[in-house]
Amino acid sequence: MSEFTISRRGLLAGSALLLASTALPTIGFAQTPKKGGRLTVAADSEPRNLNPAIVASNGVFFISSKIVETLAEASFDGKDGLEPRLALSWEGAPDGLSVTFKLRDGVKWHDGKPFTSADVAFSALQIWKPLQNLGRTVFKDLAAVDTPDELTAIFKFAKPTPFQLIRNALPALSSVVPKHLYEVGKIEDNPANNAPVGTGPFKFAEYKAGQYYRLARNDAYWGKDKPYLDEIVYQVLPDRTSAAAALEAEEIQLAAFSAVPLADLDRISKVPGLKVVTKGYEGLTYQLVVEINHRRKELADLKVRQAIAHAIDKDFVVKTVFLGYAATATGPVPKNDPQFYTADVPTYAFDVAKANALLDEAGYKRADDGKRFALKLLPAPYFNETKQFGDYLRQALAAIGIDAEIVNNDSAAHIKAVYTDHAFDLAVGPPVFRGDPAISTTILVQSGIPDGVPFSNQGGYKNADLDALIAKASETLDTSARTELYKEFQKKVAADLPLINVAEWSFISVARDTVGNIANNPRWAVSNWADTYLAG
Amino acid sequence: MNRLHRFFRTPEAIAGALILALLIAMALAAPLLFSGDPQAIAGPALLPPFHDWSLPLGTDRLGRDVLAELFHGARTSLAVGLAAAAAALLIGAVIGTLAGFAGGLVDEVLMRITDAFQTVPSFLLALAFVSIVGPSLGVVVAAIALGAWTGPARVARAEVLSIRERDYVAGARVIGMHPLEIAFREVLPNALPPVLALSSVIVAAAILTEAALSFLGLGDPNRVTWGGMIAEGRTVLRTAPFLSIIPGVSLVLTVLGVYLAGEGVVESTAVRRSLS
Repeated sequence: MSEFTISRRGLLAGSALLLASTALPTIGFAQTPKKGGRLTVAADSEPRNLNPAIVASNGVFFISSKIVETLAEASFDGKDGLEPRLALSWEGAPDGLSVTFKLRDGVKWHDGKPFTSADVAFSALQIWKPLQNLGRTVFKDLAAVDTPDELTAIFKFAKPTPFQLIRNALPALSSVVPKHLYEVGKIEDNPANNAPVGTGPFKFAEYKAGQYYRLARNDAYWGKDKPYLDEIVYQVLPDRTSAAAALEAEEIQLAAFSAVPLADLDRISKVPGLKVVTKGYEGLTYQLVVEINHRRKELADLKVRQAIAHAIDKDFVVKTVFLGYAATATGPVPKNDPQFYTADVPTYAFDVAKANALLDEAGYKRADDGKRFALKLLPAPYFNETKQFGDYLRQALAAIGIDAEIVNNDSAAHIKAVYTDHAFDLAVGPPVFRGDPAISTTILVQSGIPDGVPFSNQGGYKNADLDALIAKASETLDTSARTELYKEFQKKVAADLPLINVAEWSFISVARDTVGNIANNPRWAVSNWADTYLAG
Repeated sequence: MNRLHRFFRTPEAIAGALILALLIAMALAAPLLFSGDPQAIAGPALLPPFHDWSLPLGTDRLGRDVLAELFHGARTSLAVGLAAAAAALLIGAVIGTLAGFAGGLVDEVLMRITDAFQTVPSFLLALAFVSIVGPSLGVVVAAIALGAWTGPARVARAEVLSIRERDYVAGARVIGMHPLEIAFREVLPNALPPVLALSSVIVAAAILTEAALSFLGLGDPNRVTWGGMIAEGRTVLRTAPFLSIIPGVSLVLTVLGVYLAGEGVVESTAVRRSLS
C-alpha cells in the first residue's frame, strides 16, 4: 500500500517536472490566458498615416494591425501558411481570372455598422490597387470586384493572375477599411487615416504626439472571448538605448522589432523576468543588399560586380554586424522562405585575391597610391546595421583598391538621393521579402520603373532576359511552374549581380515573462494580438 | 623668455600646456604610429581594453583599433578646432575693425548683421548649415566659424573705437594714408591682443561643437572623430562602456587643456600689461 503511494507521488512529481520542462522554453503555453490588463510596448517611430490599406509597411502595421484587419493572416501550420481573418475561405479559378472570397458573418466596424463585401470591394478597387505602395503591383490587373451577396466578394482580373501570388499577398496587402467612412472626400485626406476605424480586436483610442498611442479593447470583437487585453499602449521611445532600460524598469513589457540593440541582448537575456524571443518574424525577412548604380561605367562591368561580391566576407557581416542574429544570403530570395528558395545559384566566396584579379582583368589596375577608382557609398540610415555594414563595406572595398567615400543622409534625403536623383554609386539598402518574389522583390531588378519609386531598381540596370522571365512568371498560373520560374530568376540574379545580396535578418523581441502567447505566428509583431495576454 | 617664465608660474597653465603638448604630439604622431587607415578592421570585435597588447585600448563594434582611432581623432579635433577658431577670428577681426573704424551707416549695418547671427544659437546654425550643405570637414569648419565670429567682431570693434581716437591714427590721417590702410595696418594690429584672448574659448567650443555634430551623425563619415566614436559606442553603452568613455574623457581633457593654456596666456599678458 505504502509502495503504491510512493510510486504515485513519484509519478506525480515526475509528470509535473516533465510539464514544467516543456513549459520553460515557451512560457505561456502551459498557462491559461488571463483577461484584462494593459500591455505597454516600445514604439520607435510615429507614423503619421496609420492606414495600412494605403501604407503597407511594418511601422504602420505594428500599430494599426490591431485595429484594421486583413482578409487572412500568416500562420505557422495553416493551409498554404494562412489562417482566416475577415475571409473564411478563398478560391482561385483555374483560368486565373477570378478569386472568390467567402467573408466572415457577424463582423461589425468599430462604429457599429456591419462589415460586408462592399467594404472589401471598395478597399480593393479604390485603395489597394490605385494607392497602396505594394498593391499597385500585385493588383494591377484587378478589373472589378463582384458582390453577389453581403458575404461573397469575387475579384475579377483583366489578365490571368497567379492565385499563389494573391494568396501570398493576403497577410500584408489586404487591410479592409470601412467604405461608409472613406467614400466621401479624398481618400488620402480622410481623418480615419490618422485615427483608424476597423474591425479588429482593439479600437483606436488616442494619440499624443511624441508620447504614446493608446488602443482600447473592442468589446464587440468577432473572436469569442477575445481580445484578452484591455489596452495596448505604444510608448514612443525613439532612442534605441532606452528600450532596454525601460524594460528593466518595468515601464514597458515588450520591445519588438529589435528595439533593444543586438549588442545588449546577451546581457538582457540574463536579467530575471525578461525573455528574448527570436521567433515571430519569419514572414518579415529583411535583406541586406548592396544596390549598384549601373550608370557608372566601372560598375556596369560584370567583373567589377563579381569582384565586389568576392570582397565581402558575409560570415564576418553576420557574426560582427548582426552578432549572429542573421543568415548569409545567396540570392534575392531568403533561405527561410519555404516556397521559392533555391540554393542552386552561383555563389561568391570571400576571396580578396580573386577579387583583385578580377579587377585587374577588367582593366582597372591599381594606381601608384594603390587605388583603382573612387566610389560614392550611401548606407541607408534606417537601421544601425545598415550603417555599420556601410562602414564595413568601405573597408572591404579598400582591400581591393576601391576608394569608397561614405555619404550619410537622413531617411528622406537618402530616398531622394538614391531613388530619385540616382546620386550614388553603391548604396546599402534593406528591402523586405514579403513571402512572394512578385510582391516587392522582382521590382528591385526589373527595368522600366519610373524615377522616384522607392525600393525599386533605380540603378539603371536593364536585362531583357530577366525582364522577360519576370513577365512570364507574373502570368504563369500553375504554382509549380511559377515556382520553377522564380528559381530560375534567383539563378539569373545571382549570376548577373544587378545587386548583391549579403545577408538576411529578422527581428528580436524582448518581453517580460508575464506576456503570454507571443510569437505564435510568422508575422506576430504586426498581427492583431487578439490572443496576447498578461499573466500575474 | 620672460613671458614664457610668467606663463609657467601658474600650475594651471603648466597642466594646460602639458595636455596641449601631448595632444599635438598625438595628432602629429598619428600617421607615423598608425600608418594606414585607422578605420581598417584590425582584430575581433568588441575586444576590451588591456587584453591584447597589440590592441591596447581594445576594438569597437567592427573590430577597429580604438587607440588608432583615438590618435587620428585627435588630429581631426585639433584641426577642426584650430581652423574654425582661425576662421572665426579672421572674420570677426575684419568685420569688427571695419565697423569700428568706418562708423556711421557701415557700423550700423555690420553690427545689425552681427546681432542677427548672435541671436541664433550657434549650434543650431551649425546643425542647419551642415544638414543643408552636407557633411564634410570643410563644411563643418565653416559651420562652426559661422556661429563663432560674432564674439571677436564685437571685441575688435570696441577696441578699434578707442584706438581710432589715438594721436598716431590722427597722424596717419594727416600724412594722407588710405583709410583702409590705416584700419588694417595701424589699428587692427593694436586691437588684436584682446581679440586673440578669445581664441582659447573659441577653440574649445569648436572642438565641442564638432564632437556634437559628429555625435548626431553630421560629421564627416570618412574620418575618425571623437564625437563619432562616442555615438558609435552609445549603442553598446551597457556592454562596452569603454567605447564611449575613452573618447569622452579625451574630449574633456582636450577642452580643459586648451582652456587652461589659454587662461595662462591671458594671465601672463595681463601681468605684463599691468607692469608696463
